[in-house]
Amino acid sequence: MNPQPFLRAFTAPAWLCAFSFLAAMVAVLQFSLRAYVPGSLDPGGFTFANFIDLLKPLYARVFFDTVVICFLTAVSTLIVGYPLAYALVRTQSAAIKSILLVIVVTPLFLGEVVRTYSWIIVLGNNGFINSILLNLGIIRQPVQFMFTTFGVVVALVHVTMPVMVIMLAAGLSHIDRDYQRAAESLGAGPIRVFLTVTLPLSMPGVVAGVTTAFAWTFSAFATPQLIGGGRVNMISNLVYQLGFASFNFPFAASLCVAGLALTIVVLSGLRLASRRLENIGPH
Amino acid sequence: MNKAADIGAKAQQETAAVPDEGAVRFSNVTKRFDAVTALDNVSMSIKPGEFMTLLGPSGCGKTTLLNLAAGFLSPDGGEIRIAGERMNDVPTYKREIGMMFQNYALFPHMSVAGNVAYGLKVRGIAKPERDRRVQEVLALVRLTGFEDRTPRQLSGGQQQRVALARALVINPTVLLLDEPFSALDKNLRASMQVELREIQRKLNVTTIFVTHDQGEALSLSDRVAVMSEGKVRQLGTPQEIYRQPCDRFVASFVGDTNVLRGRLEGIEGALAVISVGVIKVKVPSGAVMDVAASAPIDLFVRPEHLVMTEATPSCATSGTIAAHVYQGGHVDTYIECKDSSRDRLLVRSAGHETMARWPTGSTVGISIVAGEGVAFV
Repeated sequence: MNPQPFLRAFTAPAWLCAFSFLAAMVAVLQFSLRAYVPGSLDPGGFTFANFIDLLKPLYARVFFDTVVICFLTAVSTLIVGYPLAYALVRTQSAAIKSILLVIVVTPLFLGEVVRTYSWIIVLGNNGFINSILLNLGIIRQPVQFMFTTFGVVVALVHVTMPVMVIMLAAGLSHIDRDYQRAAESLGAGPIRVFLTVTLPLSMPGVVAGVTTAFAWTFSAFATPQLIGGGRVNMISNLVYQLGFASFNFPFAASLCVAGLALTIVVLSGLRLASRRLENIGPH
Repeated sequence: MNKAADIGAKAQQETAAVPDEGAVRFSNVTKRFDAVTALDNVSMSIKPGEFMTLLGPSGCGKTTLLNLAAGFLSPDGGEIRIAGERMNDVPTYKREIGMMFQNYALFPHMSVAGNVAYGLKVRGIAKPERDRRVQEVLALVRLTGFEDRTPRQLSGGQQQRVALARALVINPTVLLLDEPFSALDKNLRASMQVELREIQRKLNVTTIFVTHDQGEALSLSDRVAVMSEGKVRQLGTPQEIYRQPCDRFVASFVGDTNVLRGRLEGIEGALAVISVGVIKVKVPSGAVMDVAASAPIDLFVRPEHLVMTEATPSCATSGTIAAHVYQGGHVDTYIECKDSSRDRLLVRSAGHETMARWPTGSTVGISIVAGEGVAFV
C-alpha cells in the first residue's frame, strides 16, 4: 500500500545509475569470456581461455604482489594512523585537534597524480630524503626508494591515511573514558590499560579501517604506475598494459573480474574473522 | 638537648608519620578548572571502615573530590593521604583503590569472571588463587553461576553487583562509589542499597560515596558531608545533618522543609525563643546566637514536625488545605498559609484519616512539635 505512488518517481535516478553500473559490469563480464583476436578490437567467440591464462606464473605473481602490497599498506596505515586517531579523539586542546585534522585530511584534497608526483620528489635518487642523507654523509650512494615496493607502500599509506584515521577515531570516540579509568583503578598501568582495554574495544574501528584501506589499495593505479615504474606492478597496471598497450580487451576484462572476485574473497574473510568482535564493541 | 624536648620531638615525628587516624584524609584541598574553583580548601578525615557520603547538587565539587581520591585528577593545592601516605603524585594504578562507576564501566569484552579477575591478574596472582577469590567475591554479591555471562547479558542490578565484586576483590584500602544507584529503578535501588551497606559493614571497608540523592545519603551513611560550591557546608551523622542543619542551604537541601516567618524574642542559654504567630517556640540557638532581639527570623521545620489541629487562636499559624497527596504510608498535605515564606506549608502525617477529617478547602490550625525546628536569620 503506497498512498503517494508519485514518490517512486524520485527513485528513478538511482535505478538509472544502478542499471548503468550493472550494464558496465555485464559488458566486462562478457568480454572476459570472449577470445582475443590479435589485430582486431572486436572479440572473438566464447572461451574460458582468459581465465586459464591468469594462472600463468607471470600473472599470478601480480595478483600475489597486489595482495601483499595491500596488506603492507593497510597494516602500515593502521600503525601510523592509530596514534594520530587516539590523539585526535583524546586531546583537550582545540588547536592540536585542528592541526591533526588538517594533516590527516589534506591527502583527500590532493589529486592522485599531484600526490604521487610529490612523493617522487621526496623519494627520488636526487630527492629530499636522499639529498639530506648524502649531505649529512650518512650514505655515499643514494638509497633506491623509487621503483621499489617500499616506495609504493609509502605513497599508498598517504592515500589511505585519512579514511583509516577517521574510522579509527570514530571507533575510539565511542569508548567510554570510564573503561580506562576502571582498569586504572584496578591497578593497570598505562600500557596494560591500552593492551587489555583500549585496543580490544577499538577493534571494530580497526577492522573497518583495515578493510577499507585494503579495498582502496587494491584498485590503486597511478601510484604504482609512477612510483613502481613498471617494476612494481599491481592488477590495475596489468589491466592498463594489456588493455591499452596490447589492446587485448578480453584478457584485461578477465583480470578485472578476477581482481573483483579476489577483493570480495579477501574482504569476506576479514569480515568473517571479525564477526566474533561484534559482541565486544562498546555499548 | 634536654629530655622533655627530645620526647616532644619524637612525638612530633610520630604525628608526622601518621598525622591522623583517618583512612583517607583531605587537607586544604583545592582544585581549579580554568577560572572555576571546583574545590575550595576542603579538609576532611574519613575513619577506617567508615561510610562517608559526599552529598550535594551537581557542580558542588563532590565528584571532583572523589576523582582526586581516585587519582584521576590532581589537586592544585593541599594534600591527600590514603592510609597515612601522601597520594598527591601517586598515579591511580598504584593507589590500591576500588571504584564503582555511575555506568558500572564493566569491560564489555570480558566475561563476569574476567571482569572480576582483572585486578587480580594485574597483581600477578596465580590462577588457582585468583579463581578461588573470584568465586568468593561472587558468592558475596550473590552471583555464583554467572561467571561466563557477558555484562550485556546481565540486568542492571546484576551488572552493579559485578562492578562491586570487581572493586572489592582486590581488598582496596578505600572503596569509591560514584552515584552507583542512579541508573536503577526505585525498588531495585532500595534493595541494592541495603545489600551494599551489609557488604560494606561485613568487610569493614572504608567507603566514600558520592550522591545527589539526600534520601540515599541519610539512609546509608555513617557520616555525610553536605557540599555546595566547592565547600563542605556541614559534616556530621545523618541525624545531625537532618535535625541540626548548620545553615539554610543544608536545611533546605537535605529533606523537605517548611520555612515559617518568626521573630527572635531572646536567647536563653543554648535555646533561642522565637515567636511564630501568637506562640513562642524554643529551638537550639546555634545560628542565631549573635542576632539582635526582635530581628526577623526564619524557622525551618520538617513536615513531620507540623501537626494539623482545629483552628484555635492558640495555634502557631493556620491555613487552608490546598491538596492532600496520598503516599501510602503517609499523607503529604499542602496548606496555603501566609506565615510561610513560600505561602505554602507541607505537613506530613501518618494514616489516611487526615484526609477524611480535613477535606481540601477546610481551614486548619498548625502547631509545631515541641523542640523541633532550626532558626536562621
